[in-house]
Amino acid sequence: MESLDDVIDDLIADRVIRRHRRTWLIVIGAVVVIALLVLVTGGWKEKTGRAVPTLVATVDAPATVSAGRWEYSFSKAEIIREPKTEYSAAKAELRVYFDLRNIDTEEKESDSLAGNLVRLVPGGGQDLIESNGGTCRGEIGWVMVYGLPAESCFTKFEIAPDFSADQIEVGILGEQYISDNGLLGANEEPYWHLPEATAVVRLKPSVVVKDEEK
Amino acid sequence: MKLYRPATIAVGVLFVLIGGLTRLATPDQVFEEQNMEISKGTIGQPLQFGQDASLTIVRMQLAKSVLDANSSTDEKPIETNGVFVALEWESTAGAGKPDRPDPTLTSDGDAVFTPVGLTYSGIEFGAAGFTNAGAIVFEVDPAQLEGLTLDVQPSQLWNVLNRKVSVDLGIPGAASAQMLLDTAVDQYVLPERDVRVAS
Repeated sequence: MESLDDVIDDLIADRVIRRHRRTWLIVIGAVVVIALLVLVTGGWKEKTGRAVPTLVATVDAPATVSAGRWEYSFSKAEIIREPKTEYSAAKAELRVYFDLRNIDTEEKESDSLAGNLVRLVPGGGQDLIESNGGTCRGEIGWVMVYGLPAESCFTKFEIAPDFSADQIEVGILGEQYISDNGLLGANEEPYWHLPEATAVVRLKPSVVVKDEEK
Repeated sequence: MKLYRPATIAVGVLFVLIGGLTRLATPDQVFEEQNMEISKGTIGQPLQFGQDASLTIVRMQLAKSVLDANSSTDEKPIETNGVFVALEWESTAGAGKPDRPDPTLTSDGDAVFTPVGLTYSGIEFGAAGFTNAGAIVFEVDPAQLEGLTLDVQPSQLWNVLNRKVSVDLGIPGAASAQMLLDTAVDQYVLPERDVRVAS
């Protein structure tokens, strides 16, 4: 049977909770309002702008970037337009040409260039656009060998058919040769991963209209 | 009231220390992959891969350019600044389906080469009771030909006992590497897959 002591304890507890209920509600409400305010005003993090160097590349003076296990030498960019035909809609693609060399001195391993390492920077706070990797010797995803000289490659970006720009910016990301944290039992061997921004290359694209016949 | 007596805390600290000590006491790993047996051999030797599959490297050929089996007549062969190493193989799957093979070439200079991405360049296993034959092509730095070894690793999800293939391609020194380079053909055409009943 419930004793009188228990009943009194329950009563007091009830009072204590109810006494502060309004304060608690106000505090929770204030936290929610502050969170919404921070969210609306653009987040907590201060926007610092670009923290990596911006290079300018032309055909005569290519921009050389070493990022992770790749060395690029950017030379030119082309907007290739395919006019509308009777059977297909108008299409366009942006090609960025560069010489690519494998400088993986850590593992000396052949590999193909991943599409997320070269990205188009549309500007104006928009998301970066991933490329489709490296096309060398006419083969997409060609495997580059460590120790061989650079080869001329290009990468392709998906763009809208009416895309036009005086200059484009391409962001280069370099992978890091680091290991995972072994504290939680992961293998502590380092490997290439976690790409981080290394440089931005500015190019002036030329417009090429693809002939229907060819 | 005290939540923990000093003795309780001491026992907790002791457990943490013992955990660290056992970690220090584990022996150094002798093998890189403790779960992997290695079938070592040379060209022409059938070698066991996985549980009951077998893989034989039949022939090695160096080439200056390579062409895929399904190329159209106006396609040009792919050239290289290095050299292409083509390996022709025969594989027989056992009763079980073998793991997907992951082939790489490793040289004495620790360079690792992965196969070129052409349609017919690869190693695969067919149905049980049949022998598949084909070829795989690697682009290789000519300075790294010495001690070239083909490793075919089974790609497995679970860490179970398995068997990989390691084929010494028989290039012991600079002289034999140079001889192979001198006899490199101008063009190597990848053959289509050939399937026959296992004998």
